[in-house]
Amino acid sequence: MSEDLVTLTIDGKEVTVPAGTLIIRAAEQLGIEIPRFCDHPMLDPVGACRQCYVQIEGQPKLFTSCTTTVAPAMVVRTQNTSDEAHTAQVANLEFLLLNHPLDCPICDRGGECPLQDQALAFGPGESRYREAKRVYEKPLHLSALVNLDRERCVLCARCTRFCDQISGDRFIELYARGASQQVAIAPGEDFRSPFSGNTVQICPVGALTATPYRFVARPFDLSTADSVCPHCSAGCNLKIDMRRGEVVRQLARDNLEVNDGWACDKGRFAFGFPDSPDRITTPLVRDHGLEPASFGEVFGRIAEWTEGKRVAFLSGGRLTDEESYALSKLARTVFATNDLDHRRHLEGGELELLWAAGLTGVTYERVERAKAIVLVGLDAEQEVPILHLRIRKAARRGAKVFVIHHRRTRLHDVATHILCRPDEVAGLLAELAAGTSAAPAGLAGAALREAGNDGVMLIGAGALDRPGAADASLAAASATGARITMVSRRANDHGALRAGVHPGLLPGGRPIAVPEDRAEVELVWGQIPNYRPGRNARQILEACARREIDVLFLVGVDPLRDFPDAALALRALRNVPRKVVQSLELGSLEPYADAFLPAAAFVEKDGHFTTWEGRSQRLKPLRPAPGIALPEWEIFASLALACGSDLGFETLEELQEELGGLVAARESVPDWPPSPAPPPMAQGLELFTYPLLVDEGRLSEGAARLKAALQEEAFVEVHPQDAAATGLAAGGRAILRTEAGQAELPVRVTEHIARGTVFVPFNQPGLAANTLLSGTFATAVTLEPAHAAAGPSGGPADAQPEEVPA
Amino acid sequence: MSREPAPQPDVLQQVGAIAKGMATVFKQTFRKDNTEQWPKQIVAPPERSHIGRHLLNKHENGLEKCIGCELCAFACPADAIWVEGADNDPENPTSPGERYAKDYQINYLRCIMCGLCVEACPTRALTLTSYFELSFTSREEAIWTKEQLLEPPPPLGTDPVDREG
Repeated sequence: MSEDLVTLTIDGKEVTVPAGTLIIRAAEQLGIEIPRFCDHPMLDPVGACRQCYVQIEGQPKLFTSCTTTVAPAMVVRTQNTSDEAHTAQVANLEFLLLNHPLDCPICDRGGECPLQDQALAFGPGESRYREAKRVYEKPLHLSALVNLDRERCVLCARCTRFCDQISGDRFIELYARGASQQVAIAPGEDFRSPFSGNTVQICPVGALTATPYRFVARPFDLSTADSVCPHCSAGCNLKIDMRRGEVVRQLARDNLEVNDGWACDKGRFAFGFPDSPDRITTPLVRDHGLEPASFGEVFGRIAEWTEGKRVAFLSGGRLTDEESYALSKLARTVFATNDLDHRRHLEGGELELLWAAGLTGVTYERVERAKAIVLVGLDAEQEVPILHLRIRKAARRGAKVFVIHHRRTRLHDVATHILCRPDEVAGLLAELAAGTSAAPAGLAGAALREAGNDGVMLIGAGALDRPGAADASLAAASATGARITMVSRRANDHGALRAGVHPGLLPGGRPIAVPEDRAEVELVWGQIPNYRPGRNARQILEACARREIDVLFLVGVDPLRDFPDAALALRALRNVPRKVVQSLELGSLEPYADAFLPAAAFVEKDGHFTTWEGRSQRLKPLRPAPGIALPEWEIFASLALACGSDLGFETLEELQEELGGLVAARESVPDWPPSPAPPPMAQGLELFTYPLLVDEGRLSEGAARLKAALQEEAFVEVHPQDAAATGLAAGGRAILRTEAGQAELPVRVTEHIARGTVFVPFNQPGLAANTLLSGTFATAVTLEPAHAAAGPSGGPADAQPEEVPA
Repeated sequence: MSREPAPQPDVLQQVGAIAKGMATVFKQTFRKDNTEQWPKQIVAPPERSHIGRHLLNKHENGLEKCIGCELCAFACPADAIWVEGADNDPENPTSPGERYAKDYQINYLRCIMCGLCVEACPTRALTLTSYFELSFTSREEAIWTKEQLLEPPPPLGTDPVDREG
């Protein structure tokens, strides 16, 4: 921490800041506001708008304070003390406003516009310009989400710098020069960046506006509250704007420890689901059809159904920490079952145990400061987009990034990709652990070893799909000294795991089979009646299909869509006598549900979401739940009472107190048996799948613009050699056959996929890929061309590698 | 601690004061009456008197002047105005430019006729008229819709609906 400090004087006040600080930042520390448009703390300085002129004593000309670093004994005078700086700023604002249209009444930025505010605070008041203003066609639709109004643009280059420096998706650029300089996109191109909404948020004028918020509200209409994004485990901090109780806009909130002030487009624009017309807000019970009932009535029926019966619970990744904890306690103490699970992937072994116990110790800051980062089975951009931005930031700071995956990810311009088949991951990790070979895996190992404590391994769900990969990555981490963590996709997978929604783990990652660990929980819960580890999600569904379960609770999960074996999920639902669905809506579960319990959405409940790092972030109730929907923990507590038991808490505070003691990070975890040896993989083609960012998931319902901008139709991606061998051509269609089913999809041929593997997105329009799967996210597949809809006639020899849109 | 007794007023002075007061009463009693016998007798209010309901104006080509900017709602001290903007259909625009008012409502139970909304309007779309015959029998009726506000007011005393309602 031997940073050089520099002392300078601004407006007669002394301030000491680290060397290299910009004058504008030093002035902020003194509370002196210098007007600015192009300056943004997360972007490199550019000095484009010329608004932040200050006078530096001893210098003949004015300086832009956003590009000038401090120097010892520098004497700076801002507009407050220097007439020259003041005159220059007023003149500059007059220049900026020359061609700026008087659009404020119809502009979405009106009322919260930095240009409007600063023109009032620092501007000339009147313009001397009487001539006609520059006119452009407007608005220009850069994508279905982002509109560009070039007349309003002040050419600050914030948007283009964001795309250049932060997201790397360089779709827009400043084009032409002089008076006709403008933000432009290549003709025919769409702004297909999953981070495009950030450019709208940082635009200091109304030049970039978002279609979903276009003309919807004014700042004074909105009640704004802080929340946390429910879409992925990144845990982006959001500001949620509501007009008359309806969410109309979500903005990223600055939290330098988490999202750096950014949010992905899904977090920003997929906000319609709590207000979906399909939402059900009263309990339902099936007598003849599903009919509305009171909570008391439904609880009574459930108590009848479950009395002395075999009960199992499946949950999604949407419950808060508190609700997950209540679920874990309900299942184990009231229903005496350990058949509960929230996961979709296979066992994560000891890595999962460490993660559950809060012992992984990788944070965003660790990622940003890392010298070497290895991602295994993780497509960060599509699964946890804000982590992707952090990895890019680390790469800009010089980190070496390696990705071990079956398919190239959007980190391709900053990372070395090691493409491999699913059965090759463990071998590559062993090579990485050895770190001696000159192959990329060996280099990755050497880089991690060199980085030591500053090395980070991020293990995605894609690597947990096959037994052994998680253990191998843990071994690689301990061999290289790198820090390692799991990165799950859904918002509160981590919280659910820590709270014990797991067949073998109690809260805090305490294995139920280990007596000492169990005793710690029993101190709080009392005797746990059943301490044989239960069934995991897959085994629960199999048991359901074999009629070994009498009542199945589906809490915020739809196994028909979420579980990687649609046929098994369907058999399970058909063979369980009673199904209780607890969610926002019924969706495809409607024919199967025997009872429905309406839950509160994330904007309506109090609690915490845990990020992939293990950071618990508070969700506040921003509005009352519609109808008589209740937060899930209240439903669990009341259900326990109806069943003649008691969860032991009546308020959220009591619950949190109990939970806090149990999920606090532990010092060590007991040994965990190594995963069984994976079954050998067939020699043929292997299909793998994971969900893309914008898919048909239930939380993206109603986000039509987002889908129009970023959603892709289902496709199958194959390597050129595999395409040639199976007779497929780019642009043609292929028939995929797996053990579970078959599908016909358009073909994309790309060399950016491991040879011998075939990628199909999990849940895009056109195909729910779980109809092709048998319990894991990878399966053997055969491909053949579909002749009915012939592609280009050239045949396989002409197959051209096709660029995959990011 | 007894208080000083108030000085006795002169009797003549008191009688004079009464006479002066009664003179004012009698003068008013025999003056010509200013009361208007509304609704039997309709007296046109002075020209340019803006004492009544609002009117949403249109351009000569039939397009609405209102652009749905909500500045009137912002200016309103009584929170009586509700505006929702929307995108104009370029083929068949409702107003000039990109934005129009999809919904526009004034709640006359809240409106205090202060006219700040008119001052705020950047397009002179909103003006006050002299039509003051506003009476309601329900809360819903007091909330005027955009269609009602676009309709120029009828001459005073001719609207039968409110009268009978």
